[in-house]
Amino acid sequence: MGNIGLLFEGFGHILTFQHVLLMMVGVTLGILVGVLPGLGAPNGVSLLLPLTFSMEPISGIILLSCMYWGALFGGSTTSILFNIPGEPSSVATTFDGYPMAKAGQASRALTLAFVSAGIGALAGVVMITLVSGWVANFALRFSSPEYFAVYFLAFASFISMGSSAPFKTLVSMMLGFALASVGMDTISGNLRLTFDIPELIKGISFLIAVMGLFGIGELLLTTEEGLRFEGIKARVRISEVGRTVLELPRYWFTVVRSIFIGILMGITPAGPTAASFMSYGLASRSARDKSNFGKGDPRGIVAPETADHSAGTSALLPMLALGVPGSATAAVMMGGLMIWGLTPGPMLFVERPDFVWGLIASMYLGNIVAVILVIATVPLYASILRVPFTIIGPVIVAVIFSGAYQVSNSLTDVWLVVLFGLLGYIFKKLDYPLAPLVLAMVLGDKAEDAFRQSMLLSSGKLSIFWSNGLVSTLMAIGCLLLLAPALMWVMGVSRKRLTRPDLRQDPNENPL
Amino acid sequence: MRTSISRATILVAAFAAATPALAFDPDRPVEFVVTAGAGGGTDIFARTIQSIIGKYNLMKAPVIVTNKGSAGGAEGFVYTATAKGDNFKLAFGTNNAYLLPIRAKVPYTSADLTPVAALAADEFILWVNGKADYKTAADFVARAKEAGGELKVAGSQSKDTDQILTSMINEATGANLGYVPYKSGGEAAVQLAGGHVAANVNNPSENLGQWQAGMVKPVCVFKSERLKNDAKVAGDASWADIPTCKDSGIPIEDYNMPRTVWLPAGVDQDVVDFYANVLKKVSETPEWAKYLADTSQSADYMSGAQFADFIKADEASVSEILKREGWLAN
Amino acid sequence: MSSDGARGISRFAMEILVATATAALGVAVCYGATEAGAGWTEMGPDAGYFPFYIGLLIVFGSVMNILLAVTRQRKLGGVFIDGRRIKSVASFLLPLVAYAAVSSFLGLYVGTALYIAFAMHFQGRYKWWIAVPSGLAVAAFFFLVFEMGFKVPLLKGPVEAWFGIY
Repeated sequence: MGNIGLLFEGFGHILTFQHVLLMMVGVTLGILVGVLPGLGAPNGVSLLLPLTFSMEPISGIILLSCMYWGALFGGSTTSILFNIPGEPSSVATTFDGYPMAKAGQASRALTLAFVSAGIGALAGVVMITLVSGWVANFALRFSSPEYFAVYFLAFASFISMGSSAPFKTLVSMMLGFALASVGMDTISGNLRLTFDIPELIKGISFLIAVMGLFGIGELLLTTEEGLRFEGIKARVRISEVGRTVLELPRYWFTVVRSIFIGILMGITPAGPTAASFMSYGLASRSARDKSNFGKGDPRGIVAPETADHSAGTSALLPMLALGVPGSATAAVMMGGLMIWGLTPGPMLFVERPDFVWGLIASMYLGNIVAVILVIATVPLYASILRVPFTIIGPVIVAVIFSGAYQVSNSLTDVWLVVLFGLLGYIFKKLDYPLAPLVLAMVLGDKAEDAFRQSMLLSSGKLSIFWSNGLVSTLMAIGCLLLLAPALMWVMGVSRKRLTRPDLRQDPNENPL
Repeated sequence: MRTSISRATILVAAFAAATPALAFDPDRPVEFVVTAGAGGGTDIFARTIQSIIGKYNLMKAPVIVTNKGSAGGAEGFVYTATAKGDNFKLAFGTNNAYLLPIRAKVPYTSADLTPVAALAADEFILWVNGKADYKTAADFVARAKEAGGELKVAGSQSKDTDQILTSMINEATGANLGYVPYKSGGEAAVQLAGGHVAANVNNPSENLGQWQAGMVKPVCVFKSERLKNDAKVAGDASWADIPTCKDSGIPIEDYNMPRTVWLPAGVDQDVVDFYANVLKKVSETPEWAKYLADTSQSADYMSGAQFADFIKADEASVSEILKREGWLAN
Repeated sequence: MSSDGARGISRFAMEILVATATAALGVAVCYGATEAGAGWTEMGPDAGYFPFYIGLLIVFGSVMNILLAVTRQRKLGGVFIDGRRIKSVASFLLPLVAYAAVSSFLGLYVGTALYIAFAMHFQGRYKWWIAVPSGLAVAAFFFLVFEMGFKVPLLKGPVEAWFGIY
């Protein structure tokens, strides 16, 4: 493969002092944008876009893409420290990241997240370097039925979690679907579930829901015990960062599986959010000892972070190779390409190899710069937690409110955040799981669109979901995952009958 | 008679504290409401204008761009319409500004908006997969008739320009093409490149990348004459090589999508004139010409009565199609 | 809600209340779905097809939750929140709601400054000469980052207009 040679040429293009400086500026701004929940990567990139018009295209894309990496890292930070996902894709990180930070291990949680995110991102870039052509062709085979199968797969791998209260899980998930379908329906172009309220025609933003459910809801829970943070005492030692890095090899299998999921979801339009949920779901289901999940299990941080970032980087490949943006941020970057006079699409690799391979080389360097910068900020973040709650609590509320307003310049959203906050608080206290609601809200309308597009493509025949090898395989794996708990149960029952009562232990359980 | 004014004169005029003849001059930030998501065609349209205004200093007040693209752009139009009499909010869109209230129950009507100007017209081309053996539009139509309802066209949005055009093709040729709506023209382009649908009717810029790679190819352009740009964009082919649809088998003359700018209702005429004048100057800059060439759109500045007449005519002709398909909201 | 007086709210009452509310939402979703068309057309499901069944499932789940609450939770007893905690949560929640309300009239910058100052002074027992400048500092920081830095403005009100900032 000539790709490696091209990559080294790419490094040749970008290894200048000016470019490394641009990377650092981009990453730093990105972290800031990612930490403030309302801003987000698309906003930041749009803002920097005019600055890049006078630059060389390669310098411009380095600045913009590094801002994107920074924002992805920043999003995980607030998930872990305050239970507020800065980006939709870092919701799954809150499940174990926040409990771990709350238990006094904020530095460990942050370091785990950042390093595994960096590994995931690098894996994504390696994939782009080695097999970009093949992967782009693979992505072309995806049409609506395949999209639906991928979404189905994501649901199936996550759905059996927390089945202690099945009807509460059902209500929570269905509420998520209902919220996702408010607004204009893509397929018919009609409004639905808006009840003639003008504020509802734009739909209910996912970010508003998570800022309320997780952010405000958690603050209310915290204040029950008085106006202070319960138990977060972050002591920062550099040695702790180092120790955590050494801890990572133990989770190598989780990392490998998450990379695989991330790349698959990144090159299909399911994207980083689906990847992080699916990876978390599989990690907690396949673990021998599940008891610690949701309470600060390190694998619960490593799995979603690795998958999120490997999906985030892989998602740039469809943009470059096919001209389809994989995310809102990629869409803005594509706008940039056009303004610089480049046409995103398959010919970009042929006509401007210097640009494409320069970008790919910068993805290696940019992510390494991002990991180093972000780890350097761990002590800073951890020290935020030592600020008394009576100051940091209201500041978090102010950040959430301003973020909620910025999502679409609407005060209604601020009130919605308050409502979602109350809902999150009550649901949490009554043991309604929030994760199914969030997952349904992210993927619900996409899955529905894909299903109905498939029906239009096949003129209403359901057999389209078994019409070729790819879609059949995806659907089969999904069904298997969905039915796995039931199958295990049946097998477990029959095994118990067969074996002697004194050996009636889970064969998977470690005898030690 | 500003059409003949050179770029240098514009610069001088702009530096000489704008145009003293006009009473209105914004003294606070002007909000550009983009009725589409970041990165889409309308977004690039608005941001290009923003950068040109900034570069030539055509307006003293700063410009803030906000994206309000939910519900097919209705979010942004409702936001603008509810700011009745606000001199500092401009909505950027296409003909969806007046089509949305006809086809969906959105809480505004076209009377809630004041038309300012249209700056460009985006063209429509019939594209098929690169490996398809159709030579002309007539071949394609014949195949579509043969296949009954099994040939599908992918497009962006539902009951919007793409689906209306598909309906017009069916009406004009007697074919029975099915339509599958996607979220954007980019998605429709990839569906065609992957061979999952038979055709799409994307704007030139939406399919250029795939055309260059030979994954899709143009069949005909929905215009009464060929496109003018004869630079070689895809191998040996240029935009000007694409035959018109009426010559090659689909009797549809001109179908295009204007890129439009709107104020809320209830603003004074001198406010409308001020912005129309600024946009006129924008449309005369070399940067604007470059934007049009890069995105293969046609220059088509309209304002005042001319624009109002155009809207009325377009509204009427499209309403007829919507009525025939049973898509009217009321 | 306050039927239990100082003892707070029982978990049973809350379970029933929430399940009833979700059931009502489910009915609303079904109603909205039928308005959008809940059938299966020759071209696949209509706009309201999936939402209709989603609504039905919400109602079904809610009814099951009510039944479970009646059969199990009542026996278990349990307190959702006691009087002391209600006070604690309310002392955080009410200023937060007031913050949203004040921001509707005065804009988010003024609202933020007032809220931070109020919360620090009354909840944190900081002296007013620490609390007020802190509130102003946070609002000023927001102004610098959002308004100047990222050009994504927050809601402004009459106070900013008075200073000539729009």
